[in-house]
Amino acid sequence: MRIFGRRTKERLILSVLVLLTGVAIVPLFWIVGSIIWNGFSAISLEFLTSLPAPFGSSGGGIGNAILGTLLINCSASIFGIPVGILTGIYLSEYSSKGRLGSLVRIVVESLSGVPSIVIGLFAFTLIVMTVRHYTGIAATLALGLMMIPLVAKATEESMRVVSNDLREAAIALGIPKYNVAIRVVLSMAKSGVISGSLLAFARISGETAPLLFTSLFSFYWPTGIDQPIATLQVLIYNYAISGFADWVSKAWGASLLLVLIVLVINLVVRVLGKQKYVGV
Amino acid sequence: MTTKLETKALSAWFGRKQVLKGISIAFEEREVTALVGPSGCGKSTFIRCLNRMHELNPGGRVDGKVLLDGADIYGMDPMEVRRKIGMVFQKPNPFPNMSISDNVVAGIKLSGEKKKADLEGIAERALKSVGLYEEVKDDLRRSGASLSGGQQQRLCIARALAMEPEVILMDEPTSALDPASTSKIEELIRKLKSEITVIIITHNVSQAARISDKTAFLYLGELIEYGNTKEFFESPKSPITERYITGRFG
Repeated sequence: MRIFGRRTKERLILSVLVLLTGVAIVPLFWIVGSIIWNGFSAISLEFLTSLPAPFGSSGGGIGNAILGTLLINCSASIFGIPVGILTGIYLSEYSSKGRLGSLVRIVVESLSGVPSIVIGLFAFTLIVMTVRHYTGIAATLALGLMMIPLVAKATEESMRVVSNDLREAAIALGIPKYNVAIRVVLSMAKSGVISGSLLAFARISGETAPLLFTSLFSFYWPTGIDQPIATLQVLIYNYAISGFADWVSKAWGASLLLVLIVLVINLVVRVLGKQKYVGV
Repeated sequence: MTTKLETKALSAWFGRKQVLKGISIAFEEREVTALVGPSGCGKSTFIRCLNRMHELNPGGRVDGKVLLDGADIYGMDPMEVRRKIGMVFQKPNPFPNMSISDNVVAGIKLSGEKKKADLEGIAERALKSVGLYEEVKDDLRRSGASLSGGQQQRLCIARALAMEPEVILMDEPTSALDPASTSKIEELIRKLKSEITVIIITHNVSQAARISDKTAFLYLGELIEYGNTKEFFESPKSPITERYITGRFG
């Protein structure tokens, strides 16, 4: 005997789905909403451009942390993106035969699974312990290492979907293998590689644990990558737990900025993803 | 007539499976030779041995000799071989991320040789020789993938011709095209043979009869019959050939 009709069942399932989707979406809006609510009032020109005020006095800004995050992210990208792309090219075009390919693949997979705090500890032991002070170089190493598997996977996947017919066409023209890989296949996978690199950039923008060990923090403008450098992430951590109302409000403002950076990058990636085969 | 390309006891394998069994054949300079035979008889593998593409397949192995002007291509640099022996595929495969004119000169630009060449002139000449120039001269910057199927295939032929090959291999170049595009390409092949040696695989026996000087029939990896196209079709020597060309199998 049937208790529910087919329509009733259909409606029941649909409402469960809507409910569960809501459970997933509501926290997101809640988080973003409270960050905007609390952070928006903190943002001003002074906030964006000046140095932090001494502890206990109001005013000042987080200019050095904004600059620091950009500096460390960019230097990590200069190291991580090329290595990631080259690894991806190797995995997609050169690794079909032999054990080295599967070894590299396992290493890349494992690297992407290593907790960021462990990578931070590695950079700490390797660099900070050696030079005996906190330095942006160690942060660059840690974040760069985190970018490699992300960029490598994105590169490999977008190169693999390029049709084999085009590789054969290029080989049959007598084009050397490295140019088939780079000028033909990679060039066609360009938008996927760019998206993957941007997403890796967005991903490391949120990493805090590896920075606590490495670049730590500074109340001054960065003077060199080999010095302790303030970053938005560590600033949020420091300010949020300070219990000092002005700093807590600045931590909200910094959070809003960080979320905006990540949001903009994701939007750019979406737009890029829609146009396949961009120009030459 | 001089022999341009010649194979001696050419055998090929995919892993343990032997797909070509000791084929010896000589292709004359500036002639069109058609290769016919049922699907799976080894035609594609055979021409892929002629420009050293077969060895790129996992498990692809070749034995025997392929002589270009008397020199064994298996003793040469494979890239050099492929520049001398061009190839056109069954499905038109222009590079979709390159413009029409960049497609034509892709082989020259990416060959890794640092020589200054008049790329525009080369592109124009190659497009003219395949009869595409007039159709595309106003949009040479457009993507090669924006052309129709038949135009794309002529673009691919132009791309192969731009390398100034001595031999051109074609693997069923018209099987994906409509009749009008097919007849344009057949006409082009007849024109090409004044300068180049053409070896073409075709599934279409009447196409072989229309465009080729000589025809070779491959069956189960062996060369069954090879001769002047006219004789091949009018008085085949082997009963298998006769059954094939009269459409009783294949």
